[in-house]
Amino acid sequence: MVNKFTVEGFESFIEKAEALKSTGKPTYVLFSGSKDPATGKSWCPDCVVADPVINNVLDKLESEDVNFLYVSVGPRTFWKDQSNPFRTDLRTKLKSVPTLFKYGSSKRLEERQCSNPNLVEMLFED
Amino acid sequence: MVIISSIKNPKTISLLFRYFRNVRYSTNVSSFSTKSITPSVLLPNCCRNFPRYDPLVNYSLKNIVRSSSYCCNLRNCAKTHEIQASRTYKSTMPPTFLQKSPQEIVERCISENKVFIFSKSFCPFCFKVKAIFRSERIGFDALELDLIENGAEIQEALFAKSGQKTVPNVYINGEHVGGSDKVQELHSKGELITLLNPKTHSYDYDYIVIGGGSGGLASSKEAARLGAKVAVCDFVKPTPIGTTWGLGGTCVNVGCIPKKLMHQAAILGHDLKDSREFGWSTPEKPEHNWNTMVEGIQNHIGSLNWGYRVALRDKKIDYLNAFATFVDEHTIKTVDKKGKEKTLTSNNFLIAVGGRPRYPDIPGAKEFGITSDDIFSLPYSPGKTLLVGASYISLECAGFLHGLGYDVTVMVRSILLRGFDRQMSEKIGEIMEQMGVKFLRETIPTSVERIEEGQPGKLKVTAKTRSGGQVVDEYNTVVFAIGRDPFISELGLENIGVQLAKSGKIVVDKREVSSVSNVYAVGDVIDGGLELTPVAIQAGKLLARRLYGNGKELMDYVNVPTTVFTAIEYGCCGLSEEAAVEKFGEANIDVYHSNFWPLEFTVAHRPENDCYAKLVVLRKEGEEFVIGFHYLGPNAGEVTQGFSIALKLNATKSDFDNLVGIHPTCAEVFTTLTITKRSGKDVASQGC
Ligand SMILES: Cc1cc2nc3c(=O)[nH]c(=O)nc-3n(C[C@H](O)[C@H](O)[C@H](O)COP(=O)(O)OP(=O)(O)OC[C@H]3O[C@@H](n4cnc5c(N)ncnc54)[C@H](O)[C@@H]3O)c2cc1C
Repeated sequence: MVNKFTVEGFESFIEKAEALKSTGKPTYVLFSGSKDPATGKSWCPDCVVADPVINNVLDKLESEDVNFLYVSVGPRTFWKDQSNPFRTDLRTKLKSVPTLFKYGSSKRLEERQCSNPNLVEMLFED
Repeated sequence: MVIISSIKNPKTISLLFRYFRNVRYSTNVSSFSTKSITPSVLLPNCCRNFPRYDPLVNYSLKNIVRSSSYCCNLRNCAKTHEIQASRTYKSTMPPTFLQKSPQEIVERCISENKVFIFSKSFCPFCFKVKAIFRSERIGFDALELDLIENGAEIQEALFAKSGQKTVPNVYINGEHVGGSDKVQELHSKGELITLLNPKTHSYDYDYIVIGGGSGGLASSKEAARLGAKVAVCDFVKPTPIGTTWGLGGTCVNVGCIPKKLMHQAAILGHDLKDSREFGWSTPEKPEHNWNTMVEGIQNHIGSLNWGYRVALRDKKIDYLNAFATFVDEHTIKTVDKKGKEKTLTSNNFLIAVGGRPRYPDIPGAKEFGITSDDIFSLPYSPGKTLLVGASYISLECAGFLHGLGYDVTVMVRSILLRGFDRQMSEKIGEIMEQMGVKFLRETIPTSVERIEEGQPGKLKVTAKTRSGGQVVDEYNTVVFAIGRDPFISELGLENIGVQLAKSGKIVVDKREVSSVSNVYAVGDVIDGGLELTPVAIQAGKLLARRLYGNGKELMDYVNVPTTVFTAIEYGCCGLSEEAAVEKFGEANIDVYHSNFWPLEFTVAHRPENDCYAKLVVLRKEGEEFVIGFHYLGPNAGEVTQGFSIALKLNATKSDFDNLVGIHPTCAEVFTTLTITKRSGKDVASQGC
């Protein structure tokens, strides 16, 4: 079963990710541009495309016991600031959104890779 | 200038002149009258590959004319060494070819060439079409109709056949494709490549690559780019102590990459010491943490492993993390970690399984010793270490371990760095010894015993010297680096009859074909190759282009630069002094040399005469051709990489002398070498 969680901002991300890590289950994290409350859509077009692709793969994953954490990195202006913690912290070192990674590993997909079902499936393998 | 006699076109002459610029012929070329010239055959795209003057070849009138006609008679262009290698030239299209009927010329051009362009040398559309093929790295042959006497008639015949009046007129696999617009359209839809490789078999794959290392990955990606259906099998059998790693092969996981990074760690240590002399208040003995370094390096490797998997998946290459064995020449069986078996078939196979470190046949070697396969991920600091072997791997490991502050001993049976220049190799040994690495010469281990468990534990190594003596000492870690063996014993080669050389490696011809015609091999596993990553990559790529991209180019194993990342780095390209003397005789060889003292060393009070540069030159035709380049000093890889292009282009000593140096650098020493060994003058460095 996939346990889904959603958080916003860096502090809550770290807190939640560390808690999930301690469950011993593999934890996957998707970083997206925050959604505009009016439209319900992320400001980042690649995130909008990636969302359904990733959800699709997650649905097929039903049997596996994994954590999936959806992180809103904040509004566009915050993200574009090169010194925001998502970009600078060694635990994330994000270069772009969307980024999908397995927490605590070198496995990560960036930008368009996140909307390639083949690559997304591979990330969730093993 | 003899070559010109068979080619009568001013353009060709200028081309020839360009490529032969190194030769000082007695006949004055410019006096050659170009007025009386009647245009003959000229294939500019083909002449791009016109053989350069090569000082290692004895050109006779005959073979120069041959190589020029080789190039200009619709024969596939070959690089110099191919002509040298075979020396016998067989033309499928003799010079008389163009005297045949226009219809026959058209038919043969189409049927004998996978990709053929009827073209005109001045036509911009023809140029565009060729540029497309070049950008896709698809080989093609072309006939320039404006440069041959019967061009108009051939164009007529082509019109009758294809219904297309204009050029370019492109044929692929004997089928008429069309002109420039059509090719551009196909190109933008990505269909050009489909035309190139129509399906001709019913196997699961066009190309199965066994071994996802440097050579295998490069070849698989290139083949997939050219439209082939490709699978890669990569599986790492654990080392005796259980180390394994991810996709990418030796270089990425247990070779070049972690090696260079640990070397860097050692350099930083050295620089920290120097930094005090430059005013930094660095502690006198900075502490180094082995585990932090290993973690950083392994994280980087982890991201590379993942990157390769993403790249394969992205290019629709099937990746099997499974061990492959040949069943027959079109079938392999694969077994994964869980023991699950699969059978796969393919039209072609590439063996790129590389090698693994050899263990000596002595008690305790496999139980208590480790190799380069283990050292880079060792979860504990190695402590006092013995390296067994005089290979570059042994010396490099000794170099960085010593630089990180460990007590290091190297045990060697005979000479250091077999195959490399003697003088340079011995110099490396001397310098390392001065730095504090201990050497046990003419000694081989006879047993390894464990006297204390732990991480690291304590090992007792017994060894014997050539003179019959016995040496016993204790170490925390023993690393065997006595050589590498091809990893083929479980590959099932006996099932398909692939021929092996005495070295135990796979015999291949210059097209990298084994004795089984659909089974190819590249990289460390081939006999007579060079065990270097870029060589495996280049050979693998070119092979894929020949298989799926109508490529013609062969791997050029000559003048491959390389660097040994010992504590003092050593870069070289071309021949060693010994090899040059053996090949050309002492009388024809001169060696220019000099010590030098890098500027960075001065303030830091590092030794004045550690660094050394030498050029081995061949005296021929009144010139001195540089055929060996040797550099011992900082940043040897960077320096050697740059200069190696000069050797590729057959540079002369005066080319080096004409070059203006960059000051202050180490590399500038090569622009000012004046002392030959023959002169016996002193080359000890004097400072600036
Ligand atoms: C310590 C060290 C340092 C080095 N430093 C340098 C350097 O600085 N510069 C440089 O150019 N070169 C260096 N090399 C050499 C370089 O690593 C090799 O030349 C290169 O990796 C060879 O590539 P390859 O494709 O032949 O094979 P490899 O890279 O060895 O890959 C072969 C792969 O095939 C897999 N395999 C084997 N058998 C099977 C099978 N039956 N089924 C499935 N998979 C199989 C293996 O597990 C491996 O992953 C170094 C090597 C070592 C050991």
